Amino acid sequence: MGALPKTSELLPGTLDLLILRALLPGPMHGYGIASRLKQVSDDVLQVGESSLYPALQRLLLNGWVKAEWGTSENNRRARYYKLTASGRKQLATERENFSRMIGAIQKVLDMA
Amino acid sequence: MSGRSLHTSLARSWHRLAFRWRRAQFYRELAEELEFHSQLKAAENRRAGMSPESALALSRKQMGNITIAKEECRDMWSFMRLERLWQDLHHAARMFARTPVFTAVAILSLALGIGGNAAMFSLVNTLLIRPLPYSRPESLYRITGTYPRAAIPFLQQRSRSLDIAAVSTASEMNLTRNGLAIRIVGSRISPNFLSVLGASVAKGRSLKPGEDLPGRDGLAIISHSLWKERLGSDPAILDRVIALDGVNREIVGIMPAGFSYPSAKVQIWIPMRLDPSNLLEYWAGGFVPVIGRLRPGATVNKAREEIRNSVAQFRKTFPYPMARDWNANVTAISLQQDIVGDLRSKLIILLSSVGMVLLIACANVAGLLLSRAAARRKEIALRGALGAGRLRILRQLLTESVALALVGAGIGIILGMSALSIFKSVLPPFTPGLAEASIDWHVAAAVTVIAVLAGLAFGLAPALSAQQTDLTETIKAGSPRSVGSAWTQFRSLLITGEIALTLVLVVSAGLLLRSLYRLSEANPGFNPAGILTVEISPDQFSCTQRAACVALYDRLLARVRNISGVADAAIVNSVPLDGQLPTIPLDIEGHPKSADYPSPMLWFGAVTPDYLRIMHIPLLAGREFTSADGPNSAGVVLISASTAKHFWPGENPIGKHLKLAGAKLWRTVIGVVGDVDHNSLTNPLPSWIQGAVYMPYGQSACEDGQIPAAMTLLVRPNLDNAWLRTEIRQIAEDQAPNVPVGRVRPLQDIVSASIADFRSTMRVFITFAGAALLLAAIGIYGLLSYWVTQRTYEIGLRIAIGATRRQIVALILHQGMRITMYGVGIGLFGALILTRFLRSLLYGVGATDVNTYAEVAALILGVALAAAAVPAWRAARIDPAKSLRVE
Repeated sequence: MGALPKTSELLPGTLDLLILRALLPGPMHGYGIASRLKQVSDDVLQVGESSLYPALQRLLLNGWVKAEWGTSENNRRARYYKLTASGRKQLATERENFSRMIGAIQKVLDMA
Repeated sequence: MSGRSLHTSLARSWHRLAFRWRRAQFYRELAEELEFHSQLKAAENRRAGMSPESALALSRKQMGNITIAKEECRDMWSFMRLERLWQDLHHAARMFARTPVFTAVAILSLALGIGGNAAMFSLVNTLLIRPLPYSRPESLYRITGTYPRAAIPFLQQRSRSLDIAAVSTASEMNLTRNGLAIRIVGSRISPNFLSVLGASVAKGRSLKPGEDLPGRDGLAIISHSLWKERLGSDPAILDRVIALDGVNREIVGIMPAGFSYPSAKVQIWIPMRLDPSNLLEYWAGGFVPVIGRLRPGATVNKAREEIRNSVAQFRKTFPYPMARDWNANVTAISLQQDIVGDLRSKLIILLSSVGMVLLIACANVAGLLLSRAAARRKEIALRGALGAGRLRILRQLLTESVALALVGAGIGIILGMSALSIFKSVLPPFTPGLAEASIDWHVAAAVTVIAVLAGLAFGLAPALSAQQTDLTETIKAGSPRSVGSAWTQFRSLLITGEIALTLVLVVSAGLLLRSLYRLSEANPGFNPAGILTVEISPDQFSCTQRAACVALYDRLLARVRNISGVADAAIVNSVPLDGQLPTIPLDIEGHPKSADYPSPMLWFGAVTPDYLRIMHIPLLAGREFTSADGPNSAGVVLISASTAKHFWPGENPIGKHLKLAGAKLWRTVIGVVGDVDHNSLTNPLPSWIQGAVYMPYGQSACEDGQIPAAMTLLVRPNLDNAWLRTEIRQIAEDQAPNVPVGRVRPLQDIVSASIADFRSTMRVFITFAGAALLLAAIGIYGLLSYWVTQRTYEIGLRIAIGATRRQIVALILHQGMRITMYGVGIGLFGALILTRFLRSLLYGVGATDVNTYAEVAALILGVALAAAAVPAWRAARIDPAKSLRVE
């Protein structure tokens, strides 16, 4: 389920983690998430929409985020995504897993 | 995606379900969202200084393949596998609905095949596979042979490996209680019988050790059905007293419903009295079967050795000379094997036959699907062109055939339920466990598996054939001519096989039909036409005074003869073919007993003088009984022709003497009468009975010297009607109050009932054969119709260049008959090999009866010809102008 985003060179499952993290401060629409990721990562993480929206749907399906229609900053109808309680829990777990993974990779890279 | 908790899985399922109702909204929202995104993106690009058009174009490009993304989203929200299966099924249903005749034929043939199998499985499962319904049935054994009561304690004391119990075969008894007088079936048992069998009573208690000793044995355990049907389910029946054959017995236990041993007709179990002082009963009266349960840690081989030694020792203890080889090769066989006995071969024959019917059905449906696959080539090629993968198409086609098979199985199971009762009638009705055989979930599961396998089997070839096409060619031409001839050949092969199997089944049915005809033509040695019978069974002890019973039946006969319209009446202890075989051991003049030559057992009839005349049993020599041959006159007997030949070959038997084994009084042979089929039409007397002897009722004596009490009244009325039957029964009840009086049955019915299982076997085979024949006809018809459709162009061309209609018809018929001939040839060969397994079911006809084979071959050729005629006729009517233009 959920093919890997072909353009991004993210580790599998990382995109979900990043989206969840981006939503932690508050609800955001799809475009907002994409620009936020791009901005915070200094243009390194350019998430293609063809992977962003399937990822969002996946999170919706799993019940980790909720979607609500609201009004955007330019007064247009936009779908806002919001973390759910189980989404927060998921974020915590994923984050822990990710840190462990990074730590492990780091150790391998640092070996003598 | 890691960490999928149960909560998440539930959420996913719920969301997917909810999605099904909001599909349209989902697409709309997704589209809106993407549009919103692309506009913001375009605005961003514009800010970077691009023209609005190129900004929009770039934004779309940057967004990547949105269609794929949308599809990905949609798939994510669906139950993909289920969805596809549903689609396939939906499609299949549409395809099948479009060809109702094809679908009906296919489903019905499969239902026929599968239904028969379902019914057979449940029988085989109940009787051969499922363990006996007793505890730890694998350690239950039957000691071969039968034994006098004296052997029971002898064997019990000596056997280290087996717990041994005796249980007599079912016999009829009188039950009387508060004016109720009925004839029931009972069995005598050792007190440990239930514990050996591993069964227990549902209510009350079992028998205790020692409750087979005289004075303590006045007890009985009753069956659930007797308690329910005849004793009103009275819970207070325990400890109550009933009279059984005039002996009072206290009911101590009630068995659970469904318990049956040694036969399902046994309704009461009473202690088998062990009384060494009663020499006759203890050593001679009614030998009984013995069963045993292997003790923990014992091996069956050890048990067999032990039992052989014990029986050899026991043989020496008989107070009268016993044959040296009496039960010399005794062994222990598993109880299941003993119960199923020769049913096994019958069941296997039936199972193979339904298997054949299913094979034929599958071959047929495969053939039909092959031609459908050819017709659907264009559709399939189109789907391929539109991007459906090969596997996807294969799956679609296999889904269709499996769905077909499953629908067939569904109907088949319903058919099977009714077939089951027919199949059951093929087997002896009181086989323990037979009544419990039903189509349960085991059978349903097995049938479903078979259906899926069958669906895959008959669907695979058509599915593969459908794909073997060149896409562009097929779509362009759309012509049904472009069909791989290999598949047509494969189909011909299927039909050939089908015809061969059909021939085997029809030959089997033919042989059985011929046997039944022979049986109905067979002369049983008497003429049952127009004779009514009614059983009257006073308690044996009421005949302790010989004169009482003689007087009873004299009165009865006098009263019955007085009914207007009764031409003749007589009594006999047992009418031929009624399932009873009264026997007595005799000493025969000139044949001294020895260890190698013990007293021969003879069937014996106690009759009044008119019996032979009513039955049309011919007197061959000497004289008949007269009313002067009474209780006090000189002992006389009649013997059958084969008995005379057996004991006095080449001599005049009249004037010879014989007597009951051990008795003093010699009786004189005064005449010889014709042989009668007492046991069955196929086997007049079992091999252990060496002849038949008749005595005048007043002089007659069973083994114990007593006059038989339970008798059958025979009446030959001028005109049979309900009034007469009631009258006869009424007189019997009046003359013998408080005595069970049976139904009035025509003797003809008793004769028919004796071959009922034979007739059912034949009926089942005829059904199989008929189904097979029908399927084969459909197969040939389908193949040739297809062949004709395929060659419309060619046939049109032939007609155009001068072929006559006759030649066209000949062409098609030739095609059909060639396949049939191959099938018939192979089938004849197969039948020659296979029908030998039927031999035990045949009567008066060999397993390779030439006439039957020839007739069946002709029948099949005829059916094939008829089936081929329709497409041939259609081919001859092809209009060359039309057919050539179409292509």
